[in-house]
Amino acid sequence: MNSVQSLIQPHLLAQAGFAAVVVLTFAGALIAVFPRNILYNILGLIVCLTGVAGLFVYLGSPFIALMQLLIYVGAICISIIFAIMLSRPLHLSVPKRRLPKVGLAAGVGAVVFLMLAGIISRTPWQPAVSRSSDWSVTTLGHYLLTRYDLVFEAISLVLLVAILGAIVISGYARRRPS
Amino acid sequence: MNSLTTYLFIAALLFSLGIFGVFQRRSLIGMLIAIELMLNAASINFMAFNRFLAPDPIVGQIYTLFIMGIAAAEAAIALSIIVALFRRLRSINIERAQELRG
Amino acid sequence: MTSSWFQDPTLLAAALAALLPFVTFALIMIFTRPYPKLSAAISIAAVSVSLVCAIFLLSSHWHLEKPIQYAAKWIISGDIYIPFGFLLDQLSLVMLTIVAVISFLVQVYSLGYMAGDPGFARYYAFQSLFAWAMMTMSIAPTMLQFYVFWELVGLASYLLIGFYYEKFSASEAGKKAFVMTRFGDIAFFLGLLLVLFNFGNLNILDMNSVDVTARMSPALITLSAILIFGGVAGKSAQFPLLTWLPDAMEGPTPVSALLHSATMVAAGVYMFARIFPFFSHSAAAMNTFLAIGTITMLLASTMAMVTRDIKQVWAYSTVSQLGFMVMGLAAGSYFAGIFHLTTHAGFKALLFLCSGVFIHEFETNDFFEMGKYGGRGLKVPMVCMTVAAAALSGLPPLSGFFSKEAIMGGLAGLHNPVWLWAGLLGAFLTAYYSFRLIFSILFPRKIEKTHQGEHGGHGHGHDGGHHHVGIYWVMAWPLIILASITLVLGFFHTPLENFLVGHHGGAEAHGGHHAWLLYVAVGLALSGVGLAWLEFGRKGASQVGFVEKIEPMSRLFANRWYIDHFYRRFLDYFIYGIVSNLFTRNDRRVIDGGIDGICRATVGSGWALSFLQSGMLQYNLMVMFAVLALVALYFFF
Repeated sequence: MNSVQSLIQPHLLAQAGFAAVVVLTFAGALIAVFPRNILYNILGLIVCLTGVAGLFVYLGSPFIALMQLLIYVGAICISIIFAIMLSRPLHLSVPKRRLPKVGLAAGVGAVVFLMLAGIISRTPWQPAVSRSSDWSVTTLGHYLLTRYDLVFEAISLVLLVAILGAIVISGYARRRPS
Repeated sequence: MNSLTTYLFIAALLFSLGIFGVFQRRSLIGMLIAIELMLNAASINFMAFNRFLAPDPIVGQIYTLFIMGIAAAEAAIALSIIVALFRRLRSINIERAQELRG
Repeated sequence: MTSSWFQDPTLLAAALAALLPFVTFALIMIFTRPYPKLSAAISIAAVSVSLVCAIFLLSSHWHLEKPIQYAAKWIISGDIYIPFGFLLDQLSLVMLTIVAVISFLVQVYSLGYMAGDPGFARYYAFQSLFAWAMMTMSIAPTMLQFYVFWELVGLASYLLIGFYYEKFSASEAGKKAFVMTRFGDIAFFLGLLLVLFNFGNLNILDMNSVDVTARMSPALITLSAILIFGGVAGKSAQFPLLTWLPDAMEGPTPVSALLHSATMVAAGVYMFARIFPFFSHSAAAMNTFLAIGTITMLLASTMAMVTRDIKQVWAYSTVSQLGFMVMGLAAGSYFAGIFHLTTHAGFKALLFLCSGVFIHEFETNDFFEMGKYGGRGLKVPMVCMTVAAAALSGLPPLSGFFSKEAIMGGLAGLHNPVWLWAGLLGAFLTAYYSFRLIFSILFPRKIEKTHQGEHGGHGHGHDGGHHHVGIYWVMAWPLIILASITLVLGFFHTPLENFLVGHHGGAEAHGGHHAWLLYVAVGLALSGVGLAWLEFGRKGASQVGFVEKIEPMSRLFANRWYIDHFYRRFLDYFIYGIVSNLFTRNDRRVIDGGIDGICRATVGSGWALSFLQSGMLQYNLMVMFAVLALVALYFFF
């Protein structure tokens, strides 16, 4: 055991984990974007989001990582799957892909990436002078219910309205003969 | 792995992939998935700044949480629109939704 | 000052008098419109409170030394300071009392006249609005506040003239009154602006002080005085704008009594008197006013000689008497103008209210018809009307005699005798046309007593129904009160004069009280009456006036000297023919053409650009992002 431990350095392990997470993220993102079958896309999205959750762990917040899994993977992806199931098995008839459009999209994506990369590399990032090191979930909950409670309420209201709107929109379409 | 720019580049790449997806997909659900990718890229940025720059590491987390809430709302609305549009057009192909064509 | 709001009886009374009618107006319009009786009760109660306040103010300030002014800050702009409040001096107290008395009597009288009218509550609301505007105007401390309420008076008058709005001629008359007075008001406002910019203050007391001459050049004073006089000409129906007043007789008769005889039209003359010292700084302007007053008086008198409509006669006579007042004021006799205004308010309201009784009974406006159907059977109004007509003609013991004499005295003081002769001619004509009317009713050529029951004068009064008796007396009481005022007011000449001009000193021009003038004036009035008697009164009289025998003259008079025709022609040829034609061309060619061009260009470019608009969401987004990215790249590198 000891030899294994000495063989594999902790920071090396961490780096390997980080690489795995990054690979997971991008592999998922590619699967989410490229294949024409929509079910593959969703699976890719799930993989990608899991990878992002891993990145959050590396960024020091297991709580947000958990929330990411819970909300994105657990709720949003599932609701997308439901939407696919509600709208007939059209996903089976895969739409054709047109090369000019893909090329154009790739071009725009590249331009945007270039822009972002340029901004990132050109900006001199300065950390704040004094930084607290309080990462506890307790503080987070405290903040949510004190300083950010108005935003919290607003988000709740937005969610409520969104759900009502979703019901109205889809319900309205149902009543409408087409 | 322990520098801000790494994370920012990861997020930028993810964002560009999302943009590419939004532009290239022909199905609405595909576009929605790509948009989720873009939102995640934004979340990564927030978390990264929170980790490396921010004076108070709580604020970025709260922002990320709120982004998730917004994303949930957005997904609900978008999906309902997609369902309604599907009932109307019998398709979720964005290229058929051209009623505003000039 | 605000803390003593309720402790200072003067301020309280002024505020009550001025504001209560407005409260009433609001109350009636908002709450009690469906209840006519209640509305009338509220309105009359409010106006009687105003009356009591006005009389209290008048009596408690009988020995007023200097004007009382209450002002709250209203507009402050740079060095221009315009307060809002009350100015109580002799003139405004007298005017306030006149307005309150006439409003009160007219409202009581209207109980009978308007009984059963579907718009009863509305009528009282408008009456209250009018009373409010008029009273607040009377005691305004600045010309701006004066102007605001002046316009409100115009609005109330429009509403009341067009009260029978379903009747075409009534709504037309309302519009005509409104628009014609508006011409004058524009001039008025321009004049005020001139004063404001050059003098920097519209405070009446300041405008009347000598400072004006120091800060404004004589030419400027003349110009602004003539412009301001435009307002007087509009409101008091002076020469170029005089034709609206006879048309305004379309309103209910009590309204004619209230507005177009005693108060509203007098507002113009009141304004003249209000800033009389300001006007008198400019001799040229005063001469202009004198000419305008004279022309108006003579024109209106001639018109009154041919009409057969009882209200029209009094309307023309109002115009001519207003012209007379303007003459008096312009001749420099401040007191004579005001005094005539006061007495005229009394006897003219009386004349209209009497006419109202006749019109109400016989349902016609033609006084020859009234005579035919037994108009003299209505004893009270007949007697009252005769008294009032005698006062109007300036016969000795009545109020009109004193005030006319005062004006004549003022005119005699002028260097040019033309004005005096014109005044005397006017007096003669006035006596002639008033008694033409009186004799026509009193001594008709034949009386048709048995006319249709409904219209028979006697029949109506007696067996027309019991409720009519009550209504008759409701209408008769104000007549009797006014008649007694007319009888006695003349004897208050001296106290009123002391009150009004006491501290003005001997500056007044009535040293010209020549004895011969008195006899000439009375003689002329009597000869006018005599001529009327010869032609209309005596047994077997032809009942055709001498004017009517001369065809072109009567046509000229009956058509109001073609003033309206001139306006119509002017409208047709100049406004419609040239100005609006030009505007139409401009509209069609330039503006429409321009707009059409823009439209075409928009449609064309839209058509061209629509190729870009594929309806493809993704392309739109793509362009958006690409541009965004390129812009960002441009700015960063």
